[in-house]
Amino acid sequence: MSGAPLDLACELLAASLEAWRVAGRVEPTADGAIAIRATRQIRIEPAPNNSTFRWMVAIEGRRRPAISLLAVLRQVRQALDPDHAATSVRIAVAPLLPS
Amino acid sequence: MSGAPAIPVCVLTGFLGSGKTTMLGHLLRQPEFSRTAVIINEFGEIGLDHELIEASEDSVIALTTGCLCCKVRTDLVETLQDLLRRRDAGAFPQKFDRVVIETSGLADPAPILHALMTDVGLAGRLALDGVVTAVDAVTGEATLEREAISRKQVAVADRIVLSKLDLTQGLAPALASRLAALNSAAPTLRAVHGRIEAASLFGAAPRDAATGAHDVGSWLAQASGPAHDHHDAEIKTYTVVRVAPIRAVALTLFLEALAEHCGADLLRLKGIVNIAESPDRPAVIHGVQHVFHAPAWLERWPSADRASRMVFITRRIPRRWVEALLDAIGAEVAGVIGR
Repeated sequence: MSGAPLDLACELLAASLEAWRVAGRVEPTADGAIAIRATRQIRIEPAPNNSTFRWMVAIEGRRRPAISLLAVLRQVRQALDPDHAATSVRIAVAPLLPS
Repeated sequence: MSGAPAIPVCVLTGFLGSGKTTMLGHLLRQPEFSRTAVIINEFGEIGLDHELIEASEDSVIALTTGCLCCKVRTDLVETLQDLLRRRDAGAFPQKFDRVVIETSGLADPAPILHALMTDVGLAGRLALDGVVTAVDAVTGEATLEREAISRKQVAVADRIVLSKLDLTQGLAPALASRLAALNSAAPTLRAVHGRIEAASLFGAAPRDAATGAHDVGSWLAQASGPAHDHHDAEIKTYTVVRVAPIRAVALTLFLEALAEHCGADLLRLKGIVNIAESPDRPAVIHGVQHVFHAPAWLERWPSADRASRMVFITRRIPRRWVEALLDAIGAEVAGVIGR
């Protein structure tokens, strides 16, 4: 179960292609998945309910699970924008909530 | 760790000849600046700027070994640590209660801010108070056109100070519009013959309950108004507003994704966020590129408006992507944790 509605995931991926300046189309499929048609063909679908993962990402037919939408985004970017060098966030040590 | 309130640090930046040193000289003559330690970074074999500052010799340190932003991890951090050690040891006639860092005109302020925000040795002792950027009213427009670093200096500012207005027929509309396009969130102040009231410059960043007063309204400036975009060639400023509270984990994931995908193109992010788990104490967030300050928790909301407001100053990052990212992460977290 993905947790995020498919339309929001679809919009995020479409906006991501635009942000990364990657030519391509993102559209929902009739069977409840998301298809990305760009330099590579990508299909993203919610993982089965009994899965540890939330999404399945198939790039040119090769399927890999993803734990979250951010993991999906990372896989898609690696496939379509391989020159991008990801940076890690640095946050000064602090509690997530006020004490 | 002393447990004492953190000492505010102001970063004074601006391109070469923008009037930083003149302004600093005037500021240091004001009584409220009598307990200020000043670090001046000069680029060149022989530093001159520190000679132009009339202040106690002990309280002004010149760093002439190179541009601060290039050697920040060593020179600046070591200098600040040394200052704190000397302060603790009572080496100064009066303990300073503020630090001003004047960068070289060619410095990228971002690495300096990173060092202040993340260095373990400085954390808790010093707190970034804000970035003040001087802009020459005479040559500023041409400089901004020509020099990418000057655009970045303006983009990360909490306060913009126009200098040399006495040499022009007032503020040129082109410069005003350029500054608004680069950073509409920062108030623009005017220095007259290099003079400006200290009170209007400092205390720019809101702080948490432990460190004292806060002024979220002016810090976020136009963030509370209608969302809008301003366009320079590459740099955009926009405000993302969300009425629904945001879960703490969703905010963390959002910041992680921004850092991972935007890196240096996220010039500045500041905001006040309604965290679902902390409805009465909003979080103040502050980031420069991929480095985010630990959230500061305000004691209470500064106004009746409890919407989350995040001001983005970015290079080539579409607003649509930022909003889609926040919404999708929020929905995913809600779906997993339960609404």
